[in-house]
Amino acid sequence: MNIIGISVNHHTAPVELREALHLRQDEIKNMLIELKASYFNEGFIISTCNRTEIYGIPKNNELTYEHIENFLIEKKPVGEINSTHFHKFFSCSAVNHIFRVAAGIDSLFIGDNQILGQVKESFLIAEEQGAVGFLLKRLFDAAVRVGKRSKTETTISDGAITVSYAAVQLIEKIFSGLNKKSALVIGLGETGEIAARHLKDKGIGKLTLTNRTFEKAEKIAEELHTGIVPFSSFKESLKDYDIIISATSSSDLIITKDDLAALSKKRGGSPTILMDIAIPRDISPDARKFENIFYHDIDSLNIIVEQNIKKRKDEIPKVQAIIIEELVAFFSWFNSLEIAPTIKSLRDYFEDIRAEEVKSQINRFNETDREKLEIVTKRIINKILHHPTMELRKTADFGMDSEKTIAKIAIIRDLFGIDAKEEKT
Amino acid sequence: MQESVNILNLLLPFLYALSFGVYLLDFFKDFKNFDNFKRIFLFLALLIHAIYLIVRTIEFHHPPITNVFEIFTVIAFTITFSYFILELATDIRGTGLFIIVLSLLFQIISSIFIREQSFNDLFKSAYLGFHVFSALLGYAGITISAVYGFLYLRLYDELKHNKFGLVFRRLPNLEILEKLSFFSAIIGFIMLTIAVAVGMVWLPQVPALKFSYSDPKLIGTGLVWLLYGFGIVSKISGKWQGKKVVTLSIAGFLIAISSTIVTNFIYKSFHSSFTGTLQ
Repeated sequence: MNIIGISVNHHTAPVELREALHLRQDEIKNMLIELKASYFNEGFIISTCNRTEIYGIPKNNELTYEHIENFLIEKKPVGEINSTHFHKFFSCSAVNHIFRVAAGIDSLFIGDNQILGQVKESFLIAEEQGAVGFLLKRLFDAAVRVGKRSKTETTISDGAITVSYAAVQLIEKIFSGLNKKSALVIGLGETGEIAARHLKDKGIGKLTLTNRTFEKAEKIAEELHTGIVPFSSFKESLKDYDIIISATSSSDLIITKDDLAALSKKRGGSPTILMDIAIPRDISPDARKFENIFYHDIDSLNIIVEQNIKKRKDEIPKVQAIIIEELVAFFSWFNSLEIAPTIKSLRDYFEDIRAEEVKSQINRFNETDREKLEIVTKRIINKILHHPTMELRKTADFGMDSEKTIAKIAIIRDLFGIDAKEEKT
Repeated sequence: MQESVNILNLLLPFLYALSFGVYLLDFFKDFKNFDNFKRIFLFLALLIHAIYLIVRTIEFHHPPITNVFEIFTVIAFTITFSYFILELATDIRGTGLFIIVLSLLFQIISSIFIREQSFNDLFKSAYLGFHVFSALLGYAGITISAVYGFLYLRLYDELKHNKFGLVFRRLPNLEILEKLSFFSAIIGFIMLTIAVAVGMVWLPQVPALKFSYSDPKLIGTGLVWLLYGFGIVSKISGKWQGKKVVTLSIAGFLIAISSTIVTNFIYKSFHSSFTGTLQ
């Protein structure tokens, strides 16, 4: 399969470059139209914050990686980019790479949950633009299957691998049914905002935000449909929350030991979770001493993150096994596409010779022998072609080494001049 | 029929060991799609155990409550049965090995030592059968409650000290463990209440028994009953929760065990007149 691909990703390029190359949907659509017109019979583009990749089935053999690289650079001009920032793939390695991307093992965060959806979206856009034919459609189905199987048959996507999500995972280890719980997020920098979004996604019953810059709290609260308390008075309502996440950039403690003592007393026996995901810390570590308070800082959350990353890495061999299975299945299917016409052409080739020879010699035989001549010559041809036909069919049926299959097909077509003959007709 | 009883008696420890092994393997390895598989093993063990109890009752013309080792097999059954119902009701499947190990131990001891012996005619009384079965279900309930209480304390300790090992990964969350412990305690308390009520009404009317309100078994059971009653009321009223409640549940279980040991092996209780003639 002569699929060709280029990729700029977190292995090859710094984040600034990856961000600069990120393509919007409208840009992808326009580029697909142009790619189809100039370079590809079929093609698609994946573009996320961590990767921009272009794949396609070339219209002719003259197409090189440089053509596609230059096309991308021309359409999305970014400084400092050169050929070393590109991974290049062809045939089996391209399909393998697409499968790795769909499975999430090529992602910056191994087992990334979002990438499969992004791959699907890329194919859908390409399909909308009429850039996907039956070859890439089949490839898309196989890639989605790889992604789904990786998620269901392995634990490649299990466990939190960011501090914000680890905080939520830890909360879920203490409380069940977050819909009946209330939470306060203090500080709405990037980490605090992500934590608030995770809590909202998990269906927290009541979410309240507070931030030194009130306007920012208002903006996020409006988007997430949450409550807000002024930063100056949030301490008065601490007792009302089952979960408190603090992520400010303050250099001093926001919640002191005295605050904690008051909180513990007011909460009675009800447990409170305090997540301090700020550096330096916002909450006094004395929180650990209170029986009904579960206190975790960034160090303890990092332990969870590291454990989960290790667990995910341990799952990679299982995902690779799935990828190999799907590669074999995909190339068996692809090889069968080539084999059937080759067998037919080969048989036609021999049949033409036989028919021609019989025709030229037919007058030397009487009426009774002519029929026998037909039968005998056909039998000879069948016997000659039986073994090569069976070999080719076996290759297709059992998904043998695709490189070997391609070589066999090429030799046959070359030796018997099948391609030349087909071109002539 | 006697032969079937013997075969089933020998088979049961193996079935429990197998179920325990499957739950243990799943706890440590966390195999995907293993959940239904292990439940089938446990169901088979329960089914065979139920058949064994029925066949044994038919064969010997009395329920298997006439001696300690018969009671042990019933305890093994009631604990597993209670857990199985709990697992079905809550769909929490990661804690089975901590419960099944108890059933396994009770069944192994029972299978080794169980013998058919002469017994007191009182065992033919339906009241006694009801009293004993409800008491055993009550004890199964408080045993399961104590196991969940213990698991709660383990997870609580890991969370407090930032240890995120196997217990953290495989156990359900603290709130669920507390609920399971509390739910089991309520069932145990209700069954124990029934057992005590039947005992208090019926036992004084049996002339053959030297019934006494100062009997150590009665005092021990009364203490356990009061403790659980207090814990349940405190929890429902919102005064106590979390660690306090599960600690109380474990304390109740330990008192219940101590009371059983004391009344069976140290002090003479009128309860010994059931089992005393048989030991």
